[in-house]
Amino acid sequence: MAGPSMLPTLDNSGELVLESILPHRLFPNQLGRGELITLTSPVDPSRIICKRVIGLPGDVVCVDPTGLKAHSTEHVLVPKGHIWVAGDNAAWSKDSRDYGPVSMALVRGRIAARIYPLNRFTVFSKNATYIEH
Amino acid sequence: MSLFPKFLKLSRPLTSRRVHSATDPEGSSSRRPWAFIGRPLRWIYWLPLGLGFTQYFYTLKTVRGRSMQPTLNPDTSSWDDIVIFDRYSINSGEPIRKGDIVALRDPINSRKMLVKRVIAVAGDIVKTLPPYPDAEVFIPEGHVWVEGDEPFRTLDSNKFGPVPLALLDSKLMYIVWPLDRIGPLRPPISPVSKRGASRDFRWYSDMAAFEREQRRQSRVTTRSTTSHS
Repeated sequence: MAGPSMLPTLDNSGELVLESILPHRLFPNQLGRGELITLTSPVDPSRIICKRVIGLPGDVVCVDPTGLKAHSTEHVLVPKGHIWVAGDNAAWSKDSRDYGPVSMALVRGRIAARIYPLNRFTVFSKNATYIEH
Repeated sequence: MSLFPKFLKLSRPLTSRRVHSATDPEGSSSRRPWAFIGRPLRWIYWLPLGLGFTQYFYTLKTVRGRSMQPTLNPDTSSWDDIVIFDRYSINSGEPIRKGDIVALRDPINSRKMLVKRVIAVAGDIVKTLPPYPDAEVFIPEGHVWVEGDEPFRTLDSNKFGPVPLALLDSKLMYIVWPLDRIGPLRPPISPVSKRGASRDFRWYSDMAAFEREQRRQSRVTTRSTTSHS
């Protein structure tokens, strides 16, 4: 892993994660909100990036709650076949706030666990909290 | 080194053992266990090479649908076109040029493959056709704008917008069937008519293809042609 866009979940450098690609190949529609996924970058096809799924097709997503790249009241409807991704480090992440919803065809797989360093071993799962009115 | 005494042992009864193995095929197979796979299944050895070739180099596929008429599958032909798909140029990072016909994965339904023509690349401004919501769109970095040659019945960028380059799968380079349209698929150029020769139907269809391409490109402004940089 390299890059600060997923701090504090994933460190800037020096970490090894396990990427599980086959389950996504077999069942491509099983993405859940809050999952860490790997995808091919829509702006540079030679790069693979890791982001978190925020919105699934049909969701209305707040573009930028921090107000950095868009006004915090701006919302967008995620079109069919696309997802909204965001990095955990909102201050330093190029994600759907810059390039809009990304097609699900770009998703490669999900990050299953961090395996190095050994004292920070974690298994990543879908952790989305739903707030009821 | 350890095989040397084995060969010494074999060298004396060589002729008798040779004759023995010619008449007794089971004897030879017990010495070479991988021959068990049998003659009809020997082609399995070629499978990884064949799969690697079709995934990363070139493959033959049939094109279905009417969205690329009349370039591919025109109404005059009774069969679907069979085309050589070139995966090598996409994988090797060769830049996609305007006028190439490419196969891409559908951004909306990732299981489908679409065959469309690249109209504009990153940095260009395209005047869109309905049903696209905006009248003009700037193609961002790493994206292309694809359209079908048949504007009425096509699912293309006018529906789903600019396509990231990572979704492009292969370039269509050569039609192999039907035989009357066999030949490379290149961006249409103005046909030259030989002096004194009457213009035949092929000249007219090439000219029509060129005019269609010109009409498509008239909706695209590249960055170098705009007045401000």
